[in-house]
Amino acid sequence: MHEYAITESILEIIQTEATRAGAIHVDEVTVVIGELTSFVDDSIRFYFDELAQGTVAEGASLKFQKLEARATCNSCGADFRPRNAFFSCPECRSAVFELRQGQELFIESIDVSQAEPTDIREN
Amino acid sequence: MKIEVKKNIMATNSSVAAGNRQRLAEHGVCMLNLMASPGAGKTSVIMKAIEGTRDRLKLAVIEGDIASEIDSLAIEAMDIPAIQINTGGSCHLTAAMVSTALDHLDLDSLDLIIIENVGNLVCPAEFDLGESTRMVIASVAEGHDKPYKYPMIFREVDAILVNKIDLLAHCDFDLAQFHQVVQGLNPAAPVIELSCRDSYGTDEWCQWLEATAIGSRLDLTS
Repeated sequence: MHEYAITESILEIIQTEATRAGAIHVDEVTVVIGELTSFVDDSIRFYFDELAQGTVAEGASLKFQKLEARATCNSCGADFRPRNAFFSCPECRSAVFELRQGQELFIESIDVSQAEPTDIREN
Repeated sequence: MKIEVKKNIMATNSSVAAGNRQRLAEHGVCMLNLMASPGAGKTSVIMKAIEGTRDRLKLAVIEGDIASEIDSLAIEAMDIPAIQINTGGSCHLTAAMVSTALDHLDLDSLDLIIIENVGNLVCPAEFDLGESTRMVIASVAEGHDKPYKYPMIFREVDAILVNKIDLLAHCDFDLAQFHQVVQGLNPAAPVIELSCRDSYGTDEWCQWLEATAIGSRLDLTS
């Protein structure tokens, strides 16, 4: 359910970017989700199809890239991928670590269509 | 045409949360974000805190619910300022909702604001409200497996409260296993056992709260 608020933010950002680029339509949106967040891509897609209606992003396809979690052990310095919430360092079993990656949620890029160049001559 | 965006989707909420945090720091007010599933006893735990600390702390409560004013009326009946936020279906509070609630409180007259978030163990954990401290309540009636099922919220809080401890004799709640699991998830968080019915553990809860509020004020004003 919290994906509703997230989807509103996604639309807000891409509308701003599309306007800035002078786009007439947003064709594709690429969203990066860290694998330790609880955001569900199908839910975002569901809300997006509804909320984007009547906007410059109506009908845009959403692509999700999962970003794997990465952590550094504070005890032995090992670099590892925490597989779930109950993680500890695979080398020394320490539970004290620095989470470097895996909690992200950002828009990587958008693909837009721009108006065909028209023959406007400025005087 | 491809446009690189690289924008954090949570940026708007994060910046409003940072504004809330700054505002509270200027007034030396600690804000606690209290999260739990529906029925874990959030309001009762807050009422125990009011009873136990009102001589020493000036409190206010922000109540988040999908609908109704039941909780804020219960707090107001104790003569404590309470602001009710009805999210109208949304499963969590946002920093903007809390910012509006702060407009209605006299921050200069307060030491501590307790936010009772919407009953839910998933969504509230993702939204920073500008709080100085986060806490989750688990209750014995829910079973000891909650931290396995909702690990993120147990990992990201500063303290964990186990409520309805008087029901231990009647439920298959394995307290030792619960402690072991949360220790693995969040070794730094104190775990406070509490019963709002017979007041077991309320002294510990109130002492922790008071120390947190005072500690946070020292941090904020230093």
